Amino acid sequence: MSLFKYYDEMQREGVILYFNGPVSQPVVESIAELMRTKMRAEEAKMGSVQRVFAVLVEQMQNIVRYSSERHMDSPKFQGEMAHGQVVVGREEDGRFFVACGNRILAEDSGGLAEQIDLLQSMNRDELKAYYKERRKAPDCATHKGAGLGFVEMARKAAQPLAYDIVPMGGGTSFFSMKVVTQ
Amino acid sequence: MTKYSVQATTSSPYINFDPDSKSFEIKGESYPENCWAFYSPMFDWLKSYFSSINGSPVEIDMEIVYFNSSSSKTFMDFFEMLDDQAELGKNIVVNWRYHEENESAMECGEEFMEDVERIKFNLVEFTD
Repeated sequence: MSLFKYYDEMQREGVILYFNGPVSQPVVESIAELMRTKMRAEEAKMGSVQRVFAVLVEQMQNIVRYSSERHMDSPKFQGEMAHGQVVVGREEDGRFFVACGNRILAEDSGGLAEQIDLLQSMNRDELKAYYKERRKAPDCATHKGAGLGFVEMARKAAQPLAYDIVPMGGGTSFFSMKVVTQ
Repeated sequence: MTKYSVQATTSSPYINFDPDSKSFEIKGESYPENCWAFYSPMFDWLKSYFSSINGSPVEIDMEIVYFNSSSSKTFMDFFEMLDDQAELGKNIVVNWRYHEENESAMECGEEFMEDVERIKFNLVEFTD
């Protein structure tokens, strides 16, 4: 198996990091720290480092929570392990992007699309107000996420969130999203 | 009351609430896998602590390098709990500490400050 075609394509797309595999909390921590260290070493501005780190954590924790493709769910592993993809790279203009992909339950795709479409229609001030409103809303205490992740990413993005949902059969769809950070 | 203390990990902060020395600190990064599971013992401890004190002031130092969206929700709940205690007459101060280069931590502190009502919320910049 030659990986050249992947390597070549990644080079052309400005990819710095490509991950495809099982994601668990320790993987989230390692990859996010790795990117932070690498970006700092390359003397990226602190603000860019923080935004890439933040978007990467939100995306990977979403995979851990929502990917419908699960490798194992054993107490031996810290938390759950879900399958997903994460890509970090640079646009031609030098801005960083963070993209993620994972399978979701087809029945969840409508709600997800609706949520992202709503965020796409908002300007900076509206996003801030919406974020604060959601953050103050009473929430089910045991819910793992607060539903704030997408709003957080939209606020760190330089342009509206781009996403894509492809039906895959078997009651699942493939969800991907790309965030170009400010 | 015995103190509440938790060591830091890569994704969760060091917490040290010590009633004897009047030191209350939360320091580090906050993006644990399950935010609620991580912070709920802290909320429980604070509830009993607040019911045990009267007028003595409580000053909390928070120095969070990065926190994820779930932690943001949890911190808001935390500040609202402190606001409720302040309404009951407790004297509560939060010092939101951030490094001068950590613009995002500063902005987050400003946004929390806009949303608290009764506690005294200070933004404290520090350098190396």
